[in-house]
Amino acid sequence: MAQFRLPANSRIRKGTIHRAPAGARKVRTFRIYRFDPTSGENPRVDTFELDLAGCGPMVLDALIQIKGTLDSSLTFRRSCREGICGSCAMNIDGINRLACTTAMEDLGGGDVRIYPLPHMPVIKDLVPDLTNFYAQYASVKPWLVAETPPPPDRERLQSKPEQEKIDRPAACILCACCSTACPSYWWNSDRFLGPAALLAAYRWIIDSRDEATGERLDALEDPFRLYRCHTIMNCTDVCPKDLNPAKAIAEIKRMLVERQS
Amino acid sequence: MTKSSGANRDAAEPRPRRGEAQEGASNLRNPLARVLGQGSAKEGVHHWWVQRLTSVALVPLTVWFVVSLLSLPSLDHATVVAWMGQLWTAVFLILLVLTAAWHSQLGVRVVVEDYVHGSGAKALTLALVTFFHVVVAVAGVLAILKVALGGAV
Repeated sequence: MAQFRLPANSRIRKGTIHRAPAGARKVRTFRIYRFDPTSGENPRVDTFELDLAGCGPMVLDALIQIKGTLDSSLTFRRSCREGICGSCAMNIDGINRLACTTAMEDLGGGDVRIYPLPHMPVIKDLVPDLTNFYAQYASVKPWLVAETPPPPDRERLQSKPEQEKIDRPAACILCACCSTACPSYWWNSDRFLGPAALLAAYRWIIDSRDEATGERLDALEDPFRLYRCHTIMNCTDVCPKDLNPAKAIAEIKRMLVERQS
Repeated sequence: MTKSSGANRDAAEPRPRRGEAQEGASNLRNPLARVLGQGSAKEGVHHWWVQRLTSVALVPLTVWFVVSLLSLPSLDHATVVAWMGQLWTAVFLILLVLTAAWHSQLGVRVVVEDYVHGSGAKALTLALVTFFHVVVAVAGVLAILKVALGGAV
């Protein structure tokens, strides 16, 4: 039944404090979730007072600066630093976002609190285990399915309006900000596909070249896979690419009703 | 592994994902096989659609109920019994009770599915919840009929 506390090994304890060096002029405090699976210890929240002089403007810049100057064991994912790879998704000041596109200036004046994406198993520090998330993406067959062979002399054609339909949904970078912001996903991520996978499913359902629309809808017609979405809208709220998974899910539900009558 | 406790707005304390900690290395089934599970139940459209239909139906029924009650000259026993004795009052009251009970049953079912994990506990809770709604609906309809048909004073 309901469990109201974190399991004993997940309860967060106080961490270490890294003081700013004397003479630092532009200090910002970061409170960062730390967990080291090899230590056998519970997670903790470390405090870093970082001198922002010479540091870039984004939260990712600060994380790199902390790793470089204060604690080299701080672990996080990052790659493109321009919001296209989705690696540095994390919970910054209570909202899931990309560290590389979040400017520290926009966070207000207080301490910056950085946690991994909520309710995922943690591998280390800010690195969540996304195995299930990726498997859910794979389960919606995110590729073109068609009986008709492509024309021998050219690619499968799409009209401009047809392309425009998939243009936005196809811009998803799979950073997992949306799915891990969804309370329904927190409670039932083993069976609910979550907004990211459903947006991907929608992108192929409405692709004019795809011929598996029916099978795709069949696969989603399930009380858990699709209908655990309760229109909470956190997904659309947090998407760093300004996509609208909630609308995609609503469209899928509409199509399922429409094909019945 | 531990669980992150990202301080998301309105986030409850994070919980371990069911089965994850306990199964650990003993679950070697690959992740895609776990997600695909027992496949799609091919169900849910009807539930979702009826929940919307009943909610739409409840709007006029509820407005009618409140407005009718408020426009009665008084709310004493005799006046209300006389009001319920009218044909259309009884019809709409019965519709209100049935629609509300149906809508509530669909909604509570979702809540149970969301929060009660473990197949035994879930099945039992769902059964009890359904029985409860049927009892409420039958009792409500019978009470209206009894008053409307003059059986009760």
